[in-house]
Amino acid sequence: MRLERMVERMTSAVRNLLRRPQVDAELDEEVRGYVEMLTDEKMARGLTQNEARREAKMELGGVEQVKEQTREVRAGHFLETLWRDLYYAARTLRKNPGFTIVAVLTLALGIGANSAVFSAIDAILLRPLRFPDGDQLMQVSQYNPKVKSPNPFVAPVRLEDWNRMNSTFQALTGYYAEDDSETSGPLPEKITIAFVAPRFLQVWGVAPELGRDFSPEEERVGGPPAALISNRYWRRRFGENPKALGKQLRIGKAGVPIVGIMPSSFLFPDHDVDVWLTVPIGAPYTESRDNTWYTVVGRLKKGVTLAQARANLATVQVQLGKQYPKPDADIAVKIQPLKDTILGNVGRSFWMLFGAVSLLLLIACMNIAALLLARSSQRRHEISIRFALGGSRIRIVRQLLTETFLLALAGAALGLVFAGAASKIFQTLAASLPRVQEIHLDARIVLYTLVCSVVVTLLCGLFPALRAARESISGSLAQTSAAQVSTRNRLQWLLVGVQVALAVTLLAGAGLLVRSFEAIGQVSPGFNPSHVLTFHVSASYGETANMKALTQRIDRILDSLRTLPGVSEGATSATLPGVPQEYEQQFKVIEGPTDPNRKTMADWRSVSPDYFATLQIPLLEGEACREQTGSVNVMVNRSFANTYFPQSSAVGHHLQVLGALANFYPTAEIRGIVGDAREEGLNHAPEPTIYSCFSAPMPDPYYLVRTHNAPMSLAETVRKRLAQLEPGRSVFDMAPLTDHLDDSLSENRLRMVLLAFFAATAIALACIGLYGTLSYSVAVRKREIGLRMALGAMRGQIATLFLFKGLGVCALGCAAGLALAITSSRLLAGMLYGVSPTDVLTLSAVVVMVLALAAVASLVPAVRASRVDPMTALRYE
Amino acid sequence: MTRVQMELLQGTLDMLIMKALALGEMHGLGISRRIEQITKGTFQVKPGSLFPALHRMEEEGWLSAAWGESENNRRAKYYQLTKMGRRQLETETQRWGRISLAIANALEA
Repeated sequence: MRLERMVERMTSAVRNLLRRPQVDAELDEEVRGYVEMLTDEKMARGLTQNEARREAKMELGGVEQVKEQTREVRAGHFLETLWRDLYYAARTLRKNPGFTIVAVLTLALGIGANSAVFSAIDAILLRPLRFPDGDQLMQVSQYNPKVKSPNPFVAPVRLEDWNRMNSTFQALTGYYAEDDSETSGPLPEKITIAFVAPRFLQVWGVAPELGRDFSPEEERVGGPPAALISNRYWRRRFGENPKALGKQLRIGKAGVPIVGIMPSSFLFPDHDVDVWLTVPIGAPYTESRDNTWYTVVGRLKKGVTLAQARANLATVQVQLGKQYPKPDADIAVKIQPLKDTILGNVGRSFWMLFGAVSLLLLIACMNIAALLLARSSQRRHEISIRFALGGSRIRIVRQLLTETFLLALAGAALGLVFAGAASKIFQTLAASLPRVQEIHLDARIVLYTLVCSVVVTLLCGLFPALRAARESISGSLAQTSAAQVSTRNRLQWLLVGVQVALAVTLLAGAGLLVRSFEAIGQVSPGFNPSHVLTFHVSASYGETANMKALTQRIDRILDSLRTLPGVSEGATSATLPGVPQEYEQQFKVIEGPTDPNRKTMADWRSVSPDYFATLQIPLLEGEACREQTGSVNVMVNRSFANTYFPQSSAVGHHLQVLGALANFYPTAEIRGIVGDAREEGLNHAPEPTIYSCFSAPMPDPYYLVRTHNAPMSLAETVRKRLAQLEPGRSVFDMAPLTDHLDDSLSENRLRMVLLAFFAATAIALACIGLYGTLSYSVAVRKREIGLRMALGAMRGQIATLFLFKGLGVCALGCAAGLALAITSSRLLAGMLYGVSPTDVLTLSAVVVMVLALAAVASLVPAVRASRVDPMTALRYE
Repeated sequence: MTRVQMELLQGTLDMLIMKALALGEMHGLGISRRIEQITKGTFQVKPGSLFPALHRMEEEGWLSAAWGESENNRRAKYYQLTKMGRRQLETETQRWGRISLAIANALEA
């Protein structure tokens, strides 16, 4: 029965919608017919025709109203009115192009920016890693709780122990990457190799696209060699030829056949990895518990939580500690979700960005709300007529909301276009951020944008619509504009004030970041980074077996490079100066009292002897170190000397290194003192540092070469010389040192640029709001102005009156904004350098700028007010 | 009837209209008069309530409408009960009987 009724109603709905004019005409005729018949009745009772008709009409209560009440219950009414609302809303918007364009642009900026940032956050933070069940992947590292050493790498034999003894992981594996040369082709080619432990593909859950995974024999010592290659390498080297399977690669002295090709989506551990090789377990160099190489990744069993895994591996490590007290008793295990390790500090910046953008959207909404309020008061007449024609309050509110909704929709559509463009810009600006290539607009972003539009509609439109509909008929029709002055304006001024406050807060933040960035730029680094070329020469860790040969090789390269025309100095270093790479080391001063409570720590850098000359770090005392076999020379910097040798000179003293490096470095002698250099980054004060003079800290150190002219101009010359010296090796990552320094500051720069952009948009929006509200105020108070002028006020006084009104509200907004900025200064504290979050100079500059802009925005309406002609104004009704 | 009362008695109004039409087809004013008659003057249905009810019931399939000529030769829309409408009238009548019996019992107790 219910179903029949529903079907009937739907058929009627369709009929009503399709044949609306006809249906309406019939209704009209029916109701009028009723009136006629009622009139006839009354006439039959003895009234005259006119009296009868009048009574009939009164009894009816109004033809239009009855018709409207009937229409309301008809099927399909809702859709019909909706359609009519939309049509009318579109027409109204079209007739006010100025307002519409401003509103749509404002919304587009707000919604578009929100969508762009959200899509970036989604790609970089929210979407899990693109592996099956990526949330199960964990990064596992070891660390010594007693030493603040950043060495998280794990020894292969320990990895195997963990894998065997744990109960919470499906499998654990490890990898490390290094560069080498592949020599089976006509020229040696540099490739990036990832050396992996067994079960590598099992942990990732990815299978090769062609060929197969490693077999168990290939993963043990003595077994046949095998390699997996990446899709990119396959394309580049073999042109995607399936016959590449089985071909032999030549790495070092060995030939390695290709057994599998990975799919193009597999880019782990690095985007650049070309070849995966196994590290055979059981090989002698994998047996030592101190040889730590691997970055370990594991996949949790289904249903196991992070807490359980942590507890389990902690127990396993305790057992190992009992079995092998040295070194396992000192080692603890750390487990983190893999996702977190890839992101680092980026997460914090992004949420700050998201907050700023949402704030911007809020400001945009308030602007629109103010504009809508202004317009709705101008439409009071129209709205009153609607009431008179029988419209209900809900209908009218709905009509006004539809307009706002159309605006929001248009703004969202345009905003999506903006967001697409912004994504591209984001990718270029932030190319160094992880996973930035994965940012696209997708269905979720579009959905988010639509939700934003709806929210915006409600925020902007509800209040003005409700307000407009609240007025009674008689009040609005009879009233002239004279009476309604300050009460409504108070709300609009409040909105302007809040906007100004928010803009001031954003501007203060941006200003502080700008100044902090400048301060970093002006800091003296303690070394001369210009005219220095850096590069790498491929090498393999196997060379560490013969340190003497390695050192000789590197020294030979350096000597040869120094003879090149255009080169003045050359050196090697384990780390780049000015690029943060912490490595702290505990040591003990041999001659002198040792305080057991006070740990002596310093930064440890391994550099070749000519490092200081190459970077122009001044030698303050003693002499430059030399490489000698037998004893180890070190240099220290001035901070070190001042901290640990306040009275005597540090030169000549001996240091004993403690901790993991103790095996490699026996007692060291301090040869000299050099000036402080900001090795940890330009925004960090120099720390006490020990430089060990050792040109081969690793097989593949950074090479630093000081050139007379622009560094890159020597690139080809250096390559050719190295091709002569070391034909089997490739030269890569050539860049001036200044490029590296710029890169390390790129995140700061990005933050600064973006925040400045938002602050600029915010203040622009606030000014638009100010202008709009003041103009409206002038328009509404025309009569009052006319009166004042008639009573003797000068034009200048009128202009000043309005100017001060605008500035006054602005000043209040500034005060509120300052308070907000000061209370939220803690948010920025971590990102600032050289300037405090409540820096007076910056804050006052912001306030002055905002007031100046407000004055400009208020000028035009104020001047317009002064030009009002009192005669026309007083006659205006 | 004032608006409030109409909402309370919407189901009842439907029933009255259908009862009035059970006696034969009729136009809007006629239905109003008939209701007045059969309720002995208690209910005077205003057009503001009547027309919406008539149109609604027509769209739900309980009534059917056709244009015709009234007594004074005016064009008017005549409504009559459909088969579905008759069934609905019976259902409603029974339900109403049960309700009024229950309330009468309650008040006497």
